[in-house]
Amino acid sequence: MDRSATPLQSPHVPLFASRRDFLLRAGGGFGAIALSYLLGESEARSNSGVAGAIGRTPHHKPRAKSVIFLFMEGGPSHIDTFDPKPELTRLDGKKLPASFGTVLTSMGTAGNKLLGSRRSFSRHGKCGLEVSDWLPYTAAYADDIAVIRSCWADGLNHVGSVCQMNTGSILAGRPSMGAWVLYGLGSENKNLPGFVVMTDAGDPLGGPRTWGTGFMPTTFQGTAFRPGSSPLLFLKSADKVNGDRQSRELELIQTLNERHRQSRPEDGDLAARIASYELAFRMQASAPEAVDLRSESDKTKEDYGLDRPECGEFAHRCLLARRLVERGVRFVQVYCGGGSMWDAHSNLESNHTKMCARCDRPTAALLKDLKQRGMLEDTLVIWGGEFGRTPMSESTNGRDHNPYGFTMWMAGGGIRGGMTYGSTDELGLRALEPKVHVHDLHATVLHLLGFDHKRLTYLYNGRDERLTINGGRVVKDLIA
Amino acid sequence: MAIPLTLGPSPTKGEGNRNGLGPSATIGEGKIRRRLAPCLVLLAIAAIPGLTGAADKKEAATPLSWAYRKPVKEAPPTVKDRSWLQNPIDAFILNKLESSGLKPNPPAERSVLIRRVTFDLLGIPPTPEEVDAFVKDARPDAYERLVDRLLETPRYGEHTAVYWLDLVRYAESDGFKADDKRPDAWRYRDYVIRALNRDKPFDRFLQEQLAGDELSPREPEALVATGYLRHYPDEYNAAAVEQRRQETLDDITDVTGAAFLGLTIACARCHDHKFDPILQTDYYRLQAFFAAYHPTDHPLGHDQDLEKFDKATKAWEKRAAPVKQKIDEIENAHREKGKARQLSRFIEEYQQIYFMPAAARTPLQAQIANLVANQVDKKDETLRAMSPETKAKWQELNKEMETLAGPKPKRLPAAMGMAEIGPAAPPTYLLKRGDHRQRGEEVAPGFLSAFDDREAVLPSQPPGAKSTGRRSVLAAWLTAKDNPLTARVAVNRIWQQHFGRGIVSTPSDFGIQGDPPTHPELLDWLALEFIERGWSAKAMHRLMVTSAAYRQASTVNDRGMSVDPENRLLWRAPRRRLDGEAIRDAMLAVSGRLDQRMGGPSVYPPIPAEATASKTAWPADSDPQDAERKSIYIFVKRNLRFPFFQLFDVPDTNETCARRHVTTTAPQALAMLNSGFVREQARHLARRALDETGANRAAAIDRAFRLAFGRAPEAGERQALERFRTVAANKGEQDTAFEDLCHALLNLNEFLYLD
Repeated sequence: MDRSATPLQSPHVPLFASRRDFLLRAGGGFGAIALSYLLGESEARSNSGVAGAIGRTPHHKPRAKSVIFLFMEGGPSHIDTFDPKPELTRLDGKKLPASFGTVLTSMGTAGNKLLGSRRSFSRHGKCGLEVSDWLPYTAAYADDIAVIRSCWADGLNHVGSVCQMNTGSILAGRPSMGAWVLYGLGSENKNLPGFVVMTDAGDPLGGPRTWGTGFMPTTFQGTAFRPGSSPLLFLKSADKVNGDRQSRELELIQTLNERHRQSRPEDGDLAARIASYELAFRMQASAPEAVDLRSESDKTKEDYGLDRPECGEFAHRCLLARRLVERGVRFVQVYCGGGSMWDAHSNLESNHTKMCARCDRPTAALLKDLKQRGMLEDTLVIWGGEFGRTPMSESTNGRDHNPYGFTMWMAGGGIRGGMTYGSTDELGLRALEPKVHVHDLHATVLHLLGFDHKRLTYLYNGRDERLTINGGRVVKDLIA
Repeated sequence: MAIPLTLGPSPTKGEGNRNGLGPSATIGEGKIRRRLAPCLVLLAIAAIPGLTGAADKKEAATPLSWAYRKPVKEAPPTVKDRSWLQNPIDAFILNKLESSGLKPNPPAERSVLIRRVTFDLLGIPPTPEEVDAFVKDARPDAYERLVDRLLETPRYGEHTAVYWLDLVRYAESDGFKADDKRPDAWRYRDYVIRALNRDKPFDRFLQEQLAGDELSPREPEALVATGYLRHYPDEYNAAAVEQRRQETLDDITDVTGAAFLGLTIACARCHDHKFDPILQTDYYRLQAFFAAYHPTDHPLGHDQDLEKFDKATKAWEKRAAPVKQKIDEIENAHREKGKARQLSRFIEEYQQIYFMPAAARTPLQAQIANLVANQVDKKDETLRAMSPETKAKWQELNKEMETLAGPKPKRLPAAMGMAEIGPAAPPTYLLKRGDHRQRGEEVAPGFLSAFDDREAVLPSQPPGAKSTGRRSVLAAWLTAKDNPLTARVAVNRIWQQHFGRGIVSTPSDFGIQGDPPTHPELLDWLALEFIERGWSAKAMHRLMVTSAAYRQASTVNDRGMSVDPENRLLWRAPRRRLDGEAIRDAMLAVSGRLDQRMGGPSVYPPIPAEATASKTAWPADSDPQDAERKSIYIFVKRNLRFPFFQLFDVPDTNETCARRHVTTTAPQALAMLNSGFVREQARHLARRALDETGANRAAAIDRAFRLAFGRAPEAGERQALERFRTVAANKGEQDTAFEDLCHALLNLNEFLYLD
């Protein structure tokens, strides 16, 4: 926003750009005002975020228009999935060589014995991507995904690390990536929220603020979709007021609101609130429709594994993610293992066998489904957790948190499939150059969506804040 | 329902601020020019047209730092239309309007004005009777009397506290993963409400929060006030304790800078401030005042209470001794094993510090040892180390002890407050990129060099002193009469409460990136008036809401809209939406259900059914009446904002918030239409209106309408309401028709917006 153009304007406060603007809107009657406020045709208003439907002008041509982030919460082991380490297998049972220096870990496991992977790896796709036998379905899409093996992050503990993967900082209080994306691109569907989060049985650590907006208006926050037919809070009347009765009450509300507004024609907020009731009314129908899977074919349901006990719940959310993106939802985050379920401090084998079975088939089906519908081209899919796991053992058969080096992958939305990027050291402990920090991942995601991460800013307490804080580098090699 | 602990008498006006403060409470002249050299270069770059969007602004602002110069009290300007003036504020406002060719609006109607000022000061609507009384009051000072009455209502403190709690990011849980409850946090909330209601001088209010433990260690009120320094989100179980320590200090420094000084000093944590003359050294000079911090739960009570407690405890211990010895033996045998499990999580250095004799530790090591001990010295770890048989034995012995000695005396109520690690502080270093591992030069406590480049003169502490006295010095500096920022920042926040926007519209950024004041002379006049009136916040509220500027109507005209569409010059009263808390309280007020009880531990109203599956959700209070307490008493949980508040822009409590957003969204409408709470208030409102009108249907509609909006419905409105009820009745919904009608009233824009 060019603040110099309107010297009397303060940031984040809506106003009429000019007298002409005021008269035009005021003269256009209710419909015109409400629409212009809720859908927002002008950039000047976008910071006020009347309904979050407003987009900003992208800085360059976007490659992706929506994002599905499959969040493996708790930290999947990269060493046992996408980053094979033969040297670790060789040193199994020995201590970390002194040359690796001091390692600070969450549970103080630096001095523990090394634990080689018990998995077998094989090559997949034309690109020959190495994937372990824990993820056979995902492996079939090797040529569509770009595996980043040199990720690193700053936090040692779950809550800070989940927070950073979502917001860029290990400390709470900043807007989440989904909020930034919504702030940047706005929403395409005015009957549904633009940023939807689907948690697992447990909430992710940090709770709802993980998809919050920090210092931004709450308009951009993620909306948690709950399981079942009524995914939104307050979507159904607490008193089971039927549709007819509600319509009549709504009519009364709108009639009286309209009378009130007529003597205050300049006030866009009043018009916006009138329109928000129309929207809310429609949302009561559109949200249940979006989560109603009856129209999906049996084949699709079978592909996702909807009826399978090991993955059915996650499959359900993955299928919903596709349906939401199809309906114009901008950013969908699907948790797998909410409440740190990948956190295998002990019994890595049994934990990851279970968790991989939970995520593998639905993830692959989602890629397939998006591809078949031609949606993968402009839908960016991200897979990964808040960190990886250590090559050192914990409780003899588990692994500790490892933010120093871990793997994430991305697919679709302008990503060059069939590649690996970066690496970790011989034991999988630390990422080697070129490293990809969380901020670099975020910068790359924003880039694919058409935004320069340094220019997508929000003024807060005197600073032009951005998702990538003081860092961020677009990993150009990942882009097709 | 626990009654809040009665605390000692609060100091009377003007008495508090000369309470053993440091030697000098005047601000030295800073070497602005020298310090600003790097900023001047930046500004020169910024001034190249087109290079940054902010260039214009900088020219518009008094160049550099108007905010760092001492305020000057100029006589209110002369204006043409003197008849409009109600008090000196108006001369400043009208002067600007006249020079822009604008006229102020006519005064608002009395029924509108009383609604506006009641919500602004109390956060609830006036009753129809209060409206009538005011409308009919023919005395010339009817309005002033109304304002005086409102300022004496305890609801005033409850409402105004909300904004202070936003600033200090008050919460009752830790945040992070565990998000543990802070059972004594509410005493700070009550302290703020009491301070506001008693109009505690603002300088004393700040001093107590920063250094109450040093200034008045025997005064419970002052100890509770230091809770200000405890509101940082905390990860008590972090293994990287030095990092945690640094994050805590950063957090306290940042919030103090934003809330008290109105400056975005956080920018200087990693580098010299890019826009404001705040050096990175300044940041750490300020932080050094807090370096010795030591979170402490101060037992509350006067000397005789403490003595009584000590005596009772000793007597109990004597009675329990024979059994307690056996219990201690078992515990001692398992304590080390229990500790070992937790200790192994820490790097060796921290483990060694933990085992050092206390006397041998440096102040920093003492802080580290505490952070480790909080995680290691836990009784449940000891119990965990016991075999099931031993544990059974241990439990048995405990029962035996209780039989023998009776229950252990309950701990005294405690203030979640602050103290210091000792009379010496750990050194503070300038940290490169803000990273605690990259120490630069050591810095001593000092002020913002742009206007005061002295190092702080620290008092010499007497032998046996428990703290460094540093925070008292900072408190004195902040509240010195010639501190250019504190009073300006404070009056600007009060202004924002009444005019929707501050004279500086970025209330926690008085720096160059912030908005320049629309009425700089008025801001200075108010700041100095505030100090002259003994830092009385109530006096400032009174002055502002009795101005003609405040009493205007909110209507618009073409002239105003074309010259000043944003109303920065205040040619009209701004229309504002109620805060989330006030929306809820207003519903309770008009339904007649608002519970008037004040203070005490927070309440847990029901969470909507759809959200109760979440692990962060709380079980509702068993007493349903608790759900009808004023919003400020609802538990503030960092990882779960009360859903209704979250929808209506109540801020995240991890960061300081100086100005709330106002968003309009469909989920808000869903909440107003569908939540059980709103439905219930509609039901109560319907019943109340019927009861109060002898079930006369037409009169009941009028009554409900007047309760909700403080005015009678116009003919057209009455017609629409009557028609709605007739149609519903024809559909066979006689029972629910009036309730639905009341529900609709609560949903109207007029209910949420103030003219």
